[in-house]
Amino acid sequence: MPLLMQSQSDDDQYVLVATLDNARNLSNILKAIAFKDHAIFTATPNGLRVTVEDSKCLQANAFIQAAIFQEFTIKEDLVGLQINLTVLLDCLSIFGGSTVPGTSTALRLCYKGYGHPLTLFLEEGGVVTVCKINTQEPEEPIDFEFCSSNVTNKVILLSESLKEAFSELDMTSEVLQITMSLSQPYFRLSTFGNAGSAHYDYPKDSDMMELFHCTTTQTNKYKMSLLKPSTKALALSSKVSVRTDSRGVLSLQYLVRNDDGQICFVDYYCCPDEEADDE
Amino acid sequence: MNCTLEGHCIKVFGKAIHALSRIGHGLWLDPTVKGLALRSVNSSQSAYVCFSFSPMFFHNYSLASAQASESIKCKLQIKSLLPLFRCLTSIERNVERCQISFSPHKDTVMIQFVCRHGITKTHNIYYQESGALQAVFDSHLCSNVLKGPARLLASMVMHFQRSQEEVTLSITPLRVSLRNYHDGRNDRMKLTYTEMALHPDEFDYFLSGEDSAITFCLKELRAFLSFAEMQCLAVSVQFDAAGKPVCFSVEDTVLEATLVLATLIDSGGPAQPTNTPDPNSPRRTDAAARDQRLSHCAGMKMVASSQGSPTIPSTPLLELHNRKLLRLGNPCATASPASSAICSLLFRGLSSEQEDECVTVLACDSDMEEDKYSARSPEY
Repeated sequence: MPLLMQSQSDDDQYVLVATLDNARNLSNILKAIAFKDHAIFTATPNGLRVTVEDSKCLQANAFIQAAIFQEFTIKEDLVGLQINLTVLLDCLSIFGGSTVPGTSTALRLCYKGYGHPLTLFLEEGGVVTVCKINTQEPEEPIDFEFCSSNVTNKVILLSESLKEAFSELDMTSEVLQITMSLSQPYFRLSTFGNAGSAHYDYPKDSDMMELFHCTTTQTNKYKMSLLKPSTKALALSSKVSVRTDSRGVLSLQYLVRNDDGQICFVDYYCCPDEEADDE
Repeated sequence: MNCTLEGHCIKVFGKAIHALSRIGHGLWLDPTVKGLALRSVNSSQSAYVCFSFSPMFFHNYSLASAQASESIKCKLQIKSLLPLFRCLTSIERNVERCQISFSPHKDTVMIQFVCRHGITKTHNIYYQESGALQAVFDSHLCSNVLKGPARLLASMVMHFQRSQEEVTLSITPLRVSLRNYHDGRNDRMKLTYTEMALHPDEFDYFLSGEDSAITFCLKELRAFLSFAEMQCLAVSVQFDAAGKPVCFSVEDTVLEATLVLATLIDSGGPAQPTNTPDPNSPRRTDAAARDQRLSHCAGMKMVASSQGSPTIPSTPLLELHNRKLLRLGNPCATASPASSAICSLLFRGLSSEQEDECVTVLACDSDMEEDKYSARSPEY
């Protein structure tokens, strides 16, 4: 850790400096959304948001609040960049992925601004590695216009109950259908694959159901290929909230605790599968 | 048909599905008043397996009245069923009840798991109508019968490599032996010969009516034994001469399972005793020469078994046989109300090249896991 403090004199040139004693507090949560190579980083005084998108109908975000970092200094209201997430994750685990108790990789993330690479200083056991990753023009993350006032149905489930279902999902099914209803089955995940159909029902009085709020019975289908990557975020999380709005847009929010027990969030937004249009 | 499984029975049912999946691709479901039978046959039709669960095995078991007199011929893909019973270790903990139902009016079989925390998982699996599957094999007429705990047979087969396709089971009034079988196509330089022999006292029941040596596939037997071992059941082995099927069976108060395997046919035809000299002289010479070398081989030791039976010296390996395509067609009527005959047990056609070279073995088998049944390969 002391080695990283020496570069503080260069801090003036950086618009963003963020340090972590344990780089895994960043890398673990980023792995939950790393289903595409490229990610958009948006830093504000509140913290860091990393966004990954697919086909313009799926968006995954990881939020790491400023309070999680040992140091988080930002000189502008908003700093945005686009970067290769796979390369970033490789750098964060440059000292090897294995966890030895008592040792961790320290991270100092620095960015000078538009046109400059993202610089990572990584230190473990007195050895320092400097990585400079080229950045690209940041694209604007899609705004799904998902607002709380438009939410029709919401459930909060303990992740443990969904993990098994998601790992068993029939991948020959093109869609994952989510039903939320005022009467039985209350909350249902359905697949329609080559062998037949499968339904996973979670009743509203189950002890796995922390909250059940349904205003109208809704059934929506989402492309399985888009939602399957969310299984990683589910695996890390302790709770998940599932919400749909009047358009059928799905919001999945995962509560993730990092190695130090601090809370971070991952969310997924997915548009419903419109079958009739093109095919 | 509508039936419900509870508790440990769900795991047993799942274990049967696992065993079936290692034998064939299709699963025939046959509900009758006597219970639910699960049957499968392998792609070469050389292995047939049937798991029969009596109504007592189920928490509830009911047939719609019309079904009592006619059986539904329902065939499923095992690969659709296997994922439902994937994690057997946790299934008992997580699943409270499993309900299976189907009717001829619907095109799916419904399997529903009622799990902890009120969660319900319902699977509707397509089935196809199919002719009934039942092998006709009268095991009561077999002249050779062995019976022993599944653990005993499992410990016999575990000495053979995973890649070993076929084994030969030999019986005489004095001993039972199991050895690996090679078909002469593979490079002999790379082969390991393994043989183990047991005294008749090792078995709970031993009947040697006719000296014989039968060769059959190991893969399906291993699958069957893994089920039998889990249930700690005794396995009966019934067989005759080479060429006739061998039947392995287990039973307890609520279930029965049977595995019927085709065996390789003898070169001289089924009526000939297996140690008749072969008229083809080059083979005869080689076999005789080999036998001679074997008789001088002092390497075949046997460790006294845990059962205290006496050690006995090994006998020379029997001659290798030619293989022929065998079709056992016994289209006879069966007792089952609706099934029409199936029973062709036919095994893979293999080449009938003559054995024309000596076997030279580089080294004794040295990778035995246990010394319990010493089965060192012979040194040539």
